[in-house]
Amino acid sequence: MAEQSIADVGRVMTADGDRSARARFVIALLCLAMTLSVFLSLTSGASDASALRVIRDWLTGAVPVDTALAARDQLIVYDIRMPRVLLGVLIGAALAVSGAVMQGLFRNPLADPGLIGVSAGSSLGAVAIIVLGTTWLAPFTLAFGTLALPLAAFFGGLAVTLLLYAIATRQGRTSVATMLLAGIAVSALAMALTGVLIFMADDRQLRDLTFWQLGSLAGATWPKIGTVGPVVILALAAMPFLSRGLNALALGEATAGHLGIPVQRLKYIAIVGVSAAVGASVAVSGGIGFIGIVVPHVLRLAIGPDNRYLLPASALLGASLLLIADAVARTVVAPAELPIGIVTAIAGAPFFLWILLRKRGVIDL
Amino acid sequence: MIEAGNISVTIGGKRIVSHVDFAARPGEVSAVVGPNGSGKTTLLKALTGELSYTGTVTINGRDLSAMKPVEAATLRAVLPQATALSFPFTVREIVRLGLIGGRSGVLPGEDARLPERALARVDLDGFAGRFYQELSGGEQQRVQLARVLCQVWAPVLEGRPRYLFLDEPVSSLDVKHQLIIMNIARDFARRGGGVVAILHDLNLTAMYADRIFVLSGGQLAAAGSPTEVLNDELIEKVFDCRLKVGALPEGSMPFVLPQSAA
Repeated sequence: MAEQSIADVGRVMTADGDRSARARFVIALLCLAMTLSVFLSLTSGASDASALRVIRDWLTGAVPVDTALAARDQLIVYDIRMPRVLLGVLIGAALAVSGAVMQGLFRNPLADPGLIGVSAGSSLGAVAIIVLGTTWLAPFTLAFGTLALPLAAFFGGLAVTLLLYAIATRQGRTSVATMLLAGIAVSALAMALTGVLIFMADDRQLRDLTFWQLGSLAGATWPKIGTVGPVVILALAAMPFLSRGLNALALGEATAGHLGIPVQRLKYIAIVGVSAAVGASVAVSGGIGFIGIVVPHVLRLAIGPDNRYLLPASALLGASLLLIADAVARTVVAPAELPIGIVTAIAGAPFFLWILLRKRGVIDL
Repeated sequence: MIEAGNISVTIGGKRIVSHVDFAARPGEVSAVVGPNGSGKTTLLKALTGELSYTGTVTINGRDLSAMKPVEAATLRAVLPQATALSFPFTVREIVRLGLIGGRSGVLPGEDARLPERALARVDLDGFAGRFYQELSGGEQQRVQLARVLCQVWAPVLEGRPRYLFLDEPVSSLDVKHQLIIMNIARDFARRGGGVVAILHDLNLTAMYADRIFVLSGGQLAAAGSPTEVLNDELIEKVFDCRLKVGALPEGSMPFVLPQSAA
């Protein structure tokens, strides 16, 4: 099995072992792919609104012939599709980069915010605000207003991540087996507590809650982007500073320290950054699975595990894939739409199983 | 100079290293020997700041515990016993990691070629494009040594000596590569750096070490030059094995010593 997976990777190798030129080329391709995905997302949808015409009118300053139709198209493109596309880019990038960072941090290609319970913790936080926001947690919602939900999701994710790290770390060494098993337990606990909240919820809240469990980019609005965007962008902006440290961490925490990396600080920044990015994503779009595990894995096969290239490439591919998944979700059963979580799971789950089968016996769980 | 005074390390309530004094001078290879479980690796981990300890450790007169990781990384590099990877890095990518935090000491433009030069040093010419995980244990150990050499390529930087800490650097190597690696260590010391190496082979130790520190039960049993330290009484006391230093095997029994290398 080991020989097989190495042979697979070997096909995309260069003779001197330096894959940075290839990585830069792939990143350029991914920039192109993301541009195309954005274009595809803006122009496709249930309505026949022509994004092209809106963009052309906007570029040339032409006065449209049919002003009523143009106004409708503008509304659809500016206020519905554009925020949705922007949200898709932010969340796809956040999920993929968070996955890559967690995998580097835990030195395990199977670590994923969804798999080890960070998303479950974020969901619990968000659901708690939806159900208890007007009663027990009223002071919190009053104090933070529209920020209450993303903040609760953030702290939910952060709490789970810190808990897992504390449980799995003894004398500066993090046990991956303990981390994954504890993640399952903590996930189950968070989901059980979410279940209790669902039990308490009324009909209106139940409808809101269903949205979390399936995940969707529907309901993207400019104000929502104003709330979530800065958190995700800040978290993403911090990630490149982690890339060298995460590379060193591949050799183990002690060796990373000997190489001059402030390991403890690196871990804190990575954990807080991932919690922020995942928490904010879950807050607006619910649980969207598999982006965080599939994207970095595919890219490692293509360009290698160097985080200096892996992190930006993950952001680009994550954004592109989520936009495409969203375009599928919006059009395949139009005028209704599928929750995007269903689309990513249908495509992602078999792929994940394939990874497990290929790596069986190689990865020490 | 690496100086350590009254070093004690306690892990899980058990004292592994107890009141050890240690000093490694630049220009010398200092070997740490002792039976399994005598605290050699634990002492090395204390000296490199990997484990918390009581006592003091200084590098070139500066307190190790007050140094930032990147400051310590410019003064010393550490080769662990074994390094497992979870991602498919190429050999070149691993060796390049040696340049992350420390300062190789070569001209800025030459850093890019350093991984190849370091690999040639450890007799791994042409291995740069291979995957680390597909190499044998001995080859992996030499890749890690190449990485460590990149980190402190110049044994002396800005007038200050730098140090190599090697935990059993030849444990999984064939005899040719044992000699190559020990020659690299001696060369590093001859050019003004300092080397601290944990060794098991007493013949190699006698051949390459300028000073030997003998650990037994977490305590320093002896320290001095090979001729001072390696004697019948000490070996019997520390290793619990009645051996005669310098005795030849009887009859036609073949024996091969590293000292005979041409």
